[in-house]
Parts: sequence; C-alpha cells; structure tokens
Amino acid sequence: MRLRTGFAVFGMVIVAVVVQTTLINQLQFVTPDLVMLVVILLSLTRVRPEAVLGVAFVSGLLLDLLGSSLLGLRAIVFTVVAYAAIRTRERAEIGRVGVALWVGFLTFGGIVVLALVGTLFGQETLLGSDVVSHMFLVPIANTILAAATAGLFVRLVDRDATALRFT
Amino acid sequence: MLTRETSDRTLPTLITLLVVGILLVTFDVRTSGGGMVGVLRTGTQTIVAPMQKVASYVVNPVADMVQSLAEVAILRQENLKLREELAEALAELIAVQDEQARLGLLEQIYELESAGGDLGRTVANVIGRPDRVSLIIDKGASDGIAKGQPVLDTNGFVVGSVHTVTQGSATIVPMIAGQDGVAVVVGEQVGILMPQVATDEMRLEILDSRAPILAGERVETSAASVNFPAGLPVGQILVDAAPTVDTLTTTVQPYSNLDTLRLVVVLAWPPDPITAATGADAPEQTTTTTTTTTTTTSEDDG
Repeated sequence: MRLRTGFAVFGMVIVAVVVQTTLINQLQFVTPDLVMLVVILLSLTRVRPEAVLGVAFVSGLLLDLLGSSLLGLRAIVFTVVAYAAIRTRERAEIGRVGVALWVGFLTFGGIVVLALVGTLFGQETLLGSDVVSHMFLVPIANTILAAATAGLFVRLVDRDATALRFT
Repeated sequence: MLTRETSDRTLPTLITLLVVGILLVTFDVRTSGGGMVGVLRTGTQTIVAPMQKVASYVVNPVADMVQSLAEVAILRQENLKLREELAEALAELIAVQDEQARLGLLEQIYELESAGGDLGRTVANVIGRPDRVSLIIDKGASDGIAKGQPVLDTNGFVVGSVHTVTQGSATIVPMIAGQDGVAVVVGEQVGILMPQVATDEMRLEILDSRAPILAGERVETSAASVNFPAGLPVGQILVDAAPTVDTLTTTVQPYSNLDTLRLVVVLAWPPDPITAATGADAPEQTTTTTTTTTTTTSEDDG
C-alpha cells in the first residue's frame, strides 16, 4: 500500500468510525455499519489483501477501544469479514446490484459472527436489545449504501477513474 | 474486470491476526479492562473524543430531526401526555416549595444544621455511541467523573455506570448491558436485576422471597448495592410473580430509554473517599473519586 493510498484509507476509516459512533448509532431505523462497509469495499480495490486484513483488524480494534466490549472482539470479526470479502470478491464484479448484494451478505455474516464470538466470550448483550432487527436492517442499509458508493470508493482509493465502472 | 495483486499470504496473515485478536481478548478478560488495556482505551478515547465532540455538535441536530420525522405521531401523543405531567409536577413543586420553606423556618427556630447528604451531580451530553450498548459523554476526569460512578437520566432514573474515563470524556455502560447485576429492592424484598439477551427488559431474581410481587410495582436500588446509592428508581415489574419454594423470578422494564438519551447525570458516589477505596475497583481510582467529590460539591455550593 503506497503512502498516499495509506493516508486515504486511514482517513476513510477514521471518518467512518467517527460518523458511526456519533450519528449512525443514535438512529434507530437507518443503521448501516460504515466501518464494516469500508472494510468490505476495500477488498475491491488494488490494495494488497494482507493490508486489507490489517486495516480490518485495526478498524475493529479502534471500535473495541472506543466501546465497552472486550478488546479484540470486533477486530477478529472484521478480519474474518475482510478475508471472506477477499476470497469472494470476483463474484461481486457482475454489476452494481451484484456488489450491493455481496456487501449485504458479508455484512449479515459479520453480524452473525459478532453475535457468536460475543456469546463465546460472555458478551451476549453486545448487539443491544434489538438483535434480530439489527441483524437484518444493518445489512439492508449497507446494501443500499454499497450500491450508491462502491464505485466512488474504489476509484478514490485506487485513484483510477475507470475502476469499478459497470455498464 | 479489476486487476489486483494476488497473494498467497492472506491465510497466514488471517491466522496471525486471529491469534493476536484472541490473545487480546484473553488479556482483556484476565486484566478486567485494567492495566495496559485500560491505558490503551483511555489513550484512544482521549484522541477520538474531540473529533466526536465536534461531529456530535454537527450531527446531533440531524439525528434528532431524522428521529423526530420517523416518530412524529408518537411525539405528538407524548407531548400531550408530558403537558399533563408537567401541570401535575408544577402543582407538586409548589407544595414541596411550601414544605421546604416551613422546614427551613423550623430548622432556623431549632438551630438545626443540614445533614449535607446531597450527592454531587454532573450533567453531561451524550456525544457518541461506539456500539449499541455503550454511550460516550462529554465530561471526564477533569469534570470530576470517576470510574464506577452511577449514571442517571434527566428524570433521575438509573441508566448505568461509568466504565472508562479520560480527561475530557467517559464511556457509560447501561445496566441493561452490564456484566454485573444491580441489587434492587421491591417493597421490602431485596433481589438482583440481571440483563437479558436481545431485550431491554431485565430479569429480577429474589432469593429468600416470602411474598408475591405484582405487575407495576416500583423497583429501586437497594442499600445492599455496592454500585448505586439506595432508593434510585430503576424500573417497574412487568409480570406478576409468586415465589417458587423461596425463589422468585420475574421481568422488569427499566424506566430509562437509551434510544432517546441526549443528556445524563453522573452522581459523585460513593461520596466518602474511604468507601471508594474499599470498593471493588482498582486502587488508583480512589484519588480520582476524591477529586470528584470535592469538585462537584463545591460547584453545587456555588
């Protein structure tokens, strides 16, 4: 990952974390997981896969450090999601809808893994009181956001105006 | 199609990061959030909190507007109900003011001094929610906030307690997500209130129960609680319950609503530094609690 790309990715992660922890988590209905979205979309860029995993780990760690859950829980989950994204990214390249659905499925998987890992480490209340709606509303919100922003995100990170353009 | 670098090192990287993650979790569990992990948390929150304060200043009105639009019908009904409650509260306030005046006069006549039992209170804004189960407030150690202090909403209902403190911010863990139970009293029966998974209702367990409990009964913090002062309103019983052998279990709906919290009140409790020193928390927090009591009390006095 080049220095400039590194700064761009770092900036996006910080913005995602700040917006997530101030605006998004205060809303009850429209609740995307911006940090997870950034991690997933990063796997569509030309950033090296190991770096994507590293960014995913650090992003999760940052959220763990800001919250009250055990340190490392989200780091593990985001890393697993990033790995799944890297392994399946070829399937997302069929079009805008394909990318959006792929992001939605990965987000859903991430939330399920978070619930499982949280339960494993005695953090059953990690997802709050509305687990079921959270499990479906977050992937739907991420799906919509991905459809709107995936191309722009990839072009910004790769600094390539032709990247991820679907006809 | 996209062209990217391919690599065979993703699996070893994944395994390494997972191992590091599990080690961190284990380390956090072993140190109970203290030590190096505590320093890391405090450091990160110190860096991010100013950004959150700025962002919160900008986005809170937006969040409020979106939320209000979604709940406009409910808000109208709530508004009417609140107007009625306000009128009743004003009437009660006048009665209390009258009694206070009489009390003051009687104290003056009999030359009595106030017991000074009031706790210091610090009002704080909610500036962030790092996850679904914790809140970040804009007051920290420099405002007298210390780890473990009780947190109430603006109606005086119990919200939770302070989890982590930095100089300018603090993280609150609500009781519906806390790992420890809250010692409460219903009537004259003392029990433990525990959080439940996937609901904001809590489970009340009363050991050595001798009488049934009815829906609607008020649940308050008990004098047996090490984390909260006695007599704070917590919630109300949802379902009638009778003791089985000598154990009673039922559900409680907390009064405080986390989704609409914008302001909280942090109590400087325990007020006695010696009590704080003998508490379950780490010894270094004793100093902070001492500062808290002094600062907040003097603010109130002023």
